[in-house]
Amino acid sequence: MNYVSGLRCRECKREYSISPIHVCEFCFGPLEIIYDYEKIKKSLTHKKIEERPKSMWRYQELLPLNGDPTVGTNVGFTPLIRSEGLARALGVRELYLKNDAVNHPTLSFKDRVVSVALSKAKEFGFRIVACASTGNLANSVAALAAAGGFKSYIFVPYDLEQGKILGTLIYGTNLIGIRGSYDEVNRLCSEIAENYGWAFVNINIRPFYAEGSKTFGFEIAEQLGWKVPQHVIVPMAGGSLITKIWKGFKELEAIGLLDGVPTKIYGAQASGSNPIVAAFKAGVDWIKPQRPQTIAKSLAIGNPADGYYALKTIRESGGWAEDVTDGEIVEGMKLLAQTEGIFTETAGGVTVGVTKKLIEQGIIPRDESILISITGNGLKTQEAIQDQVGRPLIIDARLSDFEKIGAPKQRERENGIQATL
Amino acid sequence: MKEEEMEVRVRIPTPLKKLAGEQDVIKAQGRTVGEVLQWLTETYPGLKERLRDEQGEVRRFINIYVNDEDIRFNQNLETPVKEGDQISIIPAIAGGSSLRRRLTLTFPPQLIKEPVIYNIGHQFKLVTNIRSANVSENVGWVTLEIDGEETEYSKALNYLNEIGVTVEPVERNIIE
Repeated sequence: MNYVSGLRCRECKREYSISPIHVCEFCFGPLEIIYDYEKIKKSLTHKKIEERPKSMWRYQELLPLNGDPTVGTNVGFTPLIRSEGLARALGVRELYLKNDAVNHPTLSFKDRVVSVALSKAKEFGFRIVACASTGNLANSVAALAAAGGFKSYIFVPYDLEQGKILGTLIYGTNLIGIRGSYDEVNRLCSEIAENYGWAFVNINIRPFYAEGSKTFGFEIAEQLGWKVPQHVIVPMAGGSLITKIWKGFKELEAIGLLDGVPTKIYGAQASGSNPIVAAFKAGVDWIKPQRPQTIAKSLAIGNPADGYYALKTIRESGGWAEDVTDGEIVEGMKLLAQTEGIFTETAGGVTVGVTKKLIEQGIIPRDESILISITGNGLKTQEAIQDQVGRPLIIDARLSDFEKIGAPKQRERENGIQATL
Repeated sequence: MKEEEMEVRVRIPTPLKKLAGEQDVIKAQGRTVGEVLQWLTETYPGLKERLRDEQGEVRRFINIYVNDEDIRFNQNLETPVKEGDQISIIPAIAGGSSLRRRLTLTFPPQLIKEPVIYNIGHQFKLVTNIRSANVSENVGWVTLEIDGEETEYSKALNYLNEIGVTVEPVERNIIE
C-alpha cells in the first residue's frame, strides 16, 4: 500500500527518510518525494481510478501518505467545462476551463494541497498547524484544521481583502496580520517554523503539501478521457502549481495512464508582480526578486520559492510566460463572468487576460486545444472590481417607475413574449 | 593599504557554523560580496562545497543579503561592500537542520524498565534532556528535549516507533 520510499534533494540528489523536513542539509535545495513508480504502474489502472469516489483522493497512490487520508477527504474533482462563450469571444476552436473556483470546502485549489498537508501532519503526530499565506491558503488551512481537529496559526499580510480575512477568522483560527509583504511574512514564518514544533504546511511540510497540486493535472487528464490539452495556462505566485500540473501529466505518462504529453505550459502573472515572467523573457534561469504592486494579491509574491522550477517547466514544455496589467485583470474577470457565468478572483483574471494576450499575439494557435486554469473564487476579492461593474438601478415598487428608467423598450417586450411562446 | 583590509561582518547560518569554527559572525575581507565569499572559503575551506556547486557558482538555494538587502536587488556578487557592512548568508528556504525539538514519549508497560532514553543518546548522534516525566507501574511518559541533525533525529523516531513507544511532538508555546 505504501509507494513512497523517502525524500530526495532536487539539486544534489541526497536522500532522506520521510520526516517533516523540506530543505537539504547539504546544499539547501528543496526536498521532493520519492515514489516507487514501477510498483504504482503495476497496481493503478484507469478502471481502478474511475471506480473510486469523485475526489482528488482517487489518485491516492501518487500522493505521499502512508495510510488513507484523514483530512479533506471530499476535496477536488471540480468541473472541467468545454467553453462556448469564451471560446467564441477569444476566437478559438477548442477551449476548456478547469474550475477550482468551486473546489470544496474553501473555493480555491489550495484545498488540494492542504488536505494532503494536514493528513500528513496527522500521520506525523502534529497537533498545531500553521501557514504563511496570501489568503486562499489561509482560508483552506483554517477550515481544514477546524475539520481535522487541529489548532491553527495563520500568518498573512495585514492588508488582505476583507473576504479572505473573514473567510479565515470564521473557522476559529489564530490569524496574525503582518505589517509587510507576503515575502516578509514568509521570511518571518521560516524563523517561527525553526523555533516552534508546528506543522507549517508550506514550510516544513512543503514536500508533501506541494504534491496535492498534481491532482489538478490528474483530473484534467481523466476528465478529457485520458488525454491532455495542447496548451495549458496556469497562474503563478510561488510557482509551485505550474510545476506540479506538469509533473502530474508526466507521472501519468510514466505509469502508462497517458499516451504522451504534447502539452505546452504557459505561466501567467500580473505585471505588478512578474518576477518569473521577467526571468523568462530575459532568458535567464535566476529570479530577481520584486516588491509586488498589484490587485492580484493572491499572486503577489516577489520572491517565488519555486520560481526556478517554474521557469524550467515552461521552457521544457515549450510554453511561454506573459503578464497583464491590473486593468486587463479586471477585464479578464468580467470576460469570464459574462461569457461563461464563472466569477473568478483576480488570479483568474490574470490567467484569462494572459490567455487572451497570447492568442492575440499568435503564440497560442486558435485551432488547437487550450485549457485555462481557474484557481480561485471571485467572491473573495470583491474590492478589486467594486467600482468596475456598475451599480443596481434603485426604484420604487411601481410599474411606471420601472418604465421611466427606459430599460424595457417596446421591442424588447415583444421579444420577451415571443421567447415565451 | 587600508582599502585592501576592508572589514565586513558575515553572519553564518546555523547549519554551517560547525564548518566556520563554531562562529555565528565572522570578520571577513573584500571589496565586493564575491571577494568576501572568496576570502571566506579560503579561510574556512569546509564552507566551499556547501556554498558553491561543482561549477563554482554560488548554490541556487543560498541567498545573500548586504545589510538586509538581497544582493539580487543590487549587483549580485559584484555588489560593493564597505567597512562595517553586514553580510548574511541565508538558505533560500530557511529552516531545517539542527533543531532542538520536544517530544512526549509514552511507554507501554513492558518497556518501562528499558533504558530507552539512554539508547537514543548512544545509538544516535543526539543529545537528550528530560524536561518532565511520570512513571508508574503500568504506564510512563517523558517529555524530552532532543538536539541534533535531522537525519539522526528521524532514525531515532523510527527506532522509537519500532519498539512501540508512542511519540508526540510538544508544541513549544504550550510547555513554556
